[in-house]
Amino acid sequence: MSCESSTPRVSDGVHRDRLRRMSSLPPVRYQLEYPYTRTTGPIVGAFLTALRDGKLLGIRCGSRVLCPPLEYDPASGETLAPDFVEVGPGGTILSWTWIAEPSRKHPFAKPFAFALIRPDGADTAICHAVAASGPEALHTGGRVRTQYRAERRGAITDLYFAPEAEAESQYIPPGKGAVEMTEHLISLEFSEPLSPHRERYARALLDGKFIGQRSPASGKVYLPSKGYDPIERVQMSERDDVVVADTGTVVAYTVITPVQYYGQKETEPYIRASVLLDGADQPLGQQDIRTIPLAEFRSGLRVRAVWKSRAERSVVDVDNRWGGTGAVIERWEPTGEPDVSFEKIREHNW
Amino acid sequence: MPEEIAIVAVAQTPARRRYADSEPSMLMELTNRLLAETGLPRSAVDFTIAGSCDYLSGLPFAFVSNVDGFGAWPPVYESHLEMDGAWALFEAWVRLQMGDIDIALVAGSGKSSPGSPREIFPLQTDPYVAAPLGLDPVSVAGLQARALLDAGLATERDFAEVVSRSRRSGLSNPNAQVKKDVAVDALLKEPYYASPLRKHDLPPISDGAAAVLIARGKRARELTKRPVWIRGIDHRIDSHHLGLRDLTDSPSCRIAAKGVDLHGGPIDVAELCVRYSPEEIVLRRALELAPGTQINPSGGPLCGHPVMATGLVRVIEVAQRIREGSARRGVAHAASGPALQQNLLCVLEAS
Repeated sequence: MSCESSTPRVSDGVHRDRLRRMSSLPPVRYQLEYPYTRTTGPIVGAFLTALRDGKLLGIRCGSRVLCPPLEYDPASGETLAPDFVEVGPGGTILSWTWIAEPSRKHPFAKPFAFALIRPDGADTAICHAVAASGPEALHTGGRVRTQYRAERRGAITDLYFAPEAEAESQYIPPGKGAVEMTEHLISLEFSEPLSPHRERYARALLDGKFIGQRSPASGKVYLPSKGYDPIERVQMSERDDVVVADTGTVVAYTVITPVQYYGQKETEPYIRASVLLDGADQPLGQQDIRTIPLAEFRSGLRVRAVWKSRAERSVVDVDNRWGGTGAVIERWEPTGEPDVSFEKIREHNW
Repeated sequence: MPEEIAIVAVAQTPARRRYADSEPSMLMELTNRLLAETGLPRSAVDFTIAGSCDYLSGLPFAFVSNVDGFGAWPPVYESHLEMDGAWALFEAWVRLQMGDIDIALVAGSGKSSPGSPREIFPLQTDPYVAAPLGLDPVSVAGLQARALLDAGLATERDFAEVVSRSRRSGLSNPNAQVKKDVAVDALLKEPYYASPLRKHDLPPISDGAAAVLIARGKRARELTKRPVWIRGIDHRIDSHHLGLRDLTDSPSCRIAAKGVDLHGGPIDVAELCVRYSPEEIVLRRALELAPGTQINPSGGPLCGHPVMATGLVRVIEVAQRIREGSARRGVAHAASGPALQQNLLCVLEAS
């Protein structure tokens, strides 16, 4: 065994399978973020302000006290007056569940409980987290107490509960002003393998080639293909792959002046162009143009892809959705050929 | 009297942990199957409506790409809901009531595999007091399970029996993702995950899609010898504040049951959207199903949970049994939100 050859033995099915997997491109990873900023209004705002200051508020609704406070009577929908009542700090567990494996979005990284807790003085339950030494410390009807985070920002996460026997006494200094806005960053992570046709497209980019797919129904060449012809509703396979040229025509473009929103990385105006490669029927969108002056840029311009060196090419930004061209192209440069007339690119110019 | 509307063809993908194909690709396959079965050209479909979730796909406007699957050229008349396909069926049914068009294509699709459902679904909850806690459906199902135990309405053995029976039923369902013959006692030895729930009380994470073609009375009879008539469809919602709800009951289901005249005739089969085993206990009580009603012969969502298609799959499972003649009248249930917050009922019947 010690002198086993390191050369792959293609007759060995297991070995071959392992090689194939090793050679797979890594999964596409991406993050979706929405930074939400919400006004709180007079009811939720008062509730969150009180939490920041170490107090739990309910609101009067007829003869009942609702916690957390609502802006309306849940039975009739009538607007409630801001008639607040301080409730707690003690409360009774109405139901609970021990979370053995917390998610990244939970308030605690270690196991904890979610519980429905009726604060003393309230008639309804608030659903919140209980930090406890273990599930043995909890039971329905058990007593818990409010606890506050050292750093509070006027959010529901300022608060948590603990079993009475495990709760600490705290002094919470009141903060300044009313909580009128809350910020909630939604941040989700995704990961998926490249679908088979997109993986072949990405591999070809690394080899300095563009691969599209020719529809067996219409003959049109889609690039980058989604694996199907969306017009004829026909699925395509590797048999339909075709290599197209790395020269083409600018069929549309726009100049983007960046607005400084959350996540924006651009500071200067830049061109985004659609390039219809020779042999393709679908333009490559969103091509980044930095080296051709705006004054010389136009639809109909003939361009050529200047590839990065093989070692520099990367397809990390090729995904299953837009396709992209990855970080494989250094730039697009004019070929010097005469412009293509508008009539010939009309279908793609919009 | 509402317009008579029937399901004339159905199609679903098997539920799988992960599909390499994209969501539009799955929908294209189903669309082509429905058109082939009925012999209709795409242009004969008057209206298309789909349910899917951009947060699951991880891409704003992902639902627009899905339209590729239905065929959108020449331009078509279509709509979308950020809801399970069963709600798309409701909207299509309402749309056909207007009487000016005959045929609608209804779909639901979702790929849960790229993301983390447990991190995505808290975003369904109140953005001030629940979502920032990451309050997820599994945890809320745990609260509902405990409430049932404390009220004396169920035992942990009851939960395990739902799981054991459902996963055994899945053995005869070619579209099931999780299926096995496992004894109740073996299940009860497993550790807790969100106590009193164990991992097997939860649905699998699935990718999948489902689609149906519906048509108005005369057209439906022309398109199939075995139309499955939609005799009632209704959906209702409970408060999004858990503290205002009695988690052992489902008032919204009870109202919907009246809306569809559920007890106006015998129910041979019920396909219920039991994503967490305790939900079956709640639904059985709220729907007051007779002992003779067969419940979740497909195994239900515990055998496959392609979110956004799961509810429409329930409709398909009932419709197929009526088409095959093993049932005459049945009810499909779809749910959305934590602890059965929103519920849809659809009563289906043979000619």
